[in-house]
Amino acid sequence: MPILDQELSLSEIRQGVNLPPVIKNITQKEINLYAEASGDFNPIHIDEAFAAKTPLGGTIAHGMLILAYVSEMMTKAFGQKWISTGKMAIRFKAPARPKDIITIGGIINSIEHRGDTPYAACNVEAHNQNGEIVVTGETMVKL
Amino acid sequence: MQNKGLLLSFDQLVTGYEFPMTSYTLDLSIISKYLMAVGLQSAEFVPPLAIAAYAMSALSKSLVLPAGTIHASQELEFFQPVPMGATIYCQGRVAQKLSRGKLNLLTIELSALNQAKEKVLSGKATLVLQN
Repeated sequence: MPILDQELSLSEIRQGVNLPPVIKNITQKEINLYAEASGDFNPIHIDEAFAAKTPLGGTIAHGMLILAYVSEMMTKAFGQKWISTGKMAIRFKAPARPKDIITIGGIINSIEHRGDTPYAACNVEAHNQNGEIVVTGETMVKL
Repeated sequence: MQNKGLLLSFDQLVTGYEFPMTSYTLDLSIISKYLMAVGLQSAEFVPPLAIAAYAMSALSKSLVLPAGTIHASQELEFFQPVPMGATIYCQGRVAQKLSRGKLNLLTIELSALNQAKEKVLSGKATLVLQN
């Protein structure tokens, strides 16, 4: 299936097209930066000693950081349509940890019409370097 | 960020509880910090996930969340682009509370409005809290 590498016109958006993947290296430094930027200082993200004693066994990236990457992919594919009309429903399946390489991908699952208005419905997911699913979900954008 | 409410724990929250409205201004310095943290060079408008992140952060200032609280799921819907410098008003409501063994689940509905009180974002976050 073709992969989008830039925002496409209406006629180029069709079922089965893969969205432009976003690949991110997760580091503790970036997690700390996100904590500073968002004001979310939950120790599960930034305190290695605390996190090591939890069932997670170590620090994890903020879920909203991973969602920011999903949104980056959707913005690449759909531009301002995404930030004006986008919708996402995401489930967190596994933590993203420092040193993980996270790949965000997606596919246009269908083009749906509500009245005369077309919407692109996409399946999205993020997985780590071991193929483990980190997040999965659906997005929708008005075309 | 403005927040004039009480600090509430999971046990004190009831379904339907409405958090006090909070507000925050997305000035350039805040957004620059956010863009750097998520690895973006620039943005024409405020990234919608930044609005959501600050809304969640503002609401969480009304809560005493146990250390180790994590996200289980997140729904978001965006209604219009938000320019840099905008002031956002944030509303939240407890949609659901569940206890399952050692875990508590808390679902919060949130919405973010611009200065004209037009909705720019809505969403629902489900959090897992260690009991």
